[in-house]
Amino acid sequence: MARSAKAVPWFLFAAGGTVTAFVLPVMLFVTNIAPPVGLFTDAMSWSSMHDFVGNWLVKLVLLGIIGFGLWHAAHRLRVCAHDFGIRADTPVAAVVYALAALGTLLTIWALLMI
Amino acid sequence: MDARKPYVRKVSKTSWFMTHARYKTYMLHEVSSIFVALYMVLLIWGLFALADGPQAWGNWMSFIESPLVILLSLIAFGFFVIHTMSWFKAVPQAMRIQKGEHFIPGNLIIGGHYAVLGGFSLFVLILAGVA
Repeated sequence: MARSAKAVPWFLFAAGGTVTAFVLPVMLFVTNIAPPVGLFTDAMSWSSMHDFVGNWLVKLVLLGIIGFGLWHAAHRLRVCAHDFGIRADTPVAAVVYALAALGTLLTIWALLMI
Repeated sequence: MDARKPYVRKVSKTSWFMTHARYKTYMLHEVSSIFVALYMVLLIWGLFALADGPQAWGNWMSFIESPLVILLSLIAFGFFVIHTMSWFKAVPQAMRIQKGEHFIPGNLIIGGHYAVLGGFSLFVLILAGVA
């Protein structure tokens, strides 16, 4: 049987879809929706955030959320492009996956600096 | 010249999904990926700001608290909820768990996912509240 490379983006898509489904609603609430109304301002201060993200386990979890989230979004955006009438799948796939790879590397870089 | 004149129904390549409620629902959860991607970019920027120091972090926080970003965040929250609900709904189709001779009913698997979602969200909120 011929081996397909599809398993790789599909695994990343499924893992990212699951992680984002559980994590993103509450995470967005804490980072973006609560602070403007004065909630969680202590938790979102630089010093407590810096301490929190300084933990290597938290770094690993954040890399998992952002990394898988990026690959999930990349795969869906590729399908979206097709659905909105852009039928040049190969260049679209190259662009979205390259951006996801770049974002993953940037995340690792930023986490290593904290 | 081709003698055949097959009837080909005209389907718009850019707005085909507007023709059926099911396609609209499908596009709604597909489009959620735009907001997931934007949020990931915002988070990466936030990590660099966190590494940079209190001033850069302050700039990042004021960006989040600007009116346009608040509006986009509220829209994004809606799309994230749509993503979560549509993802959980699809789980029993992707993951069939057999117990003895029968399969565990889909609603039980979906319910379990919502329970974990609720527990995890509560945990994060408490963690953020006591920090």
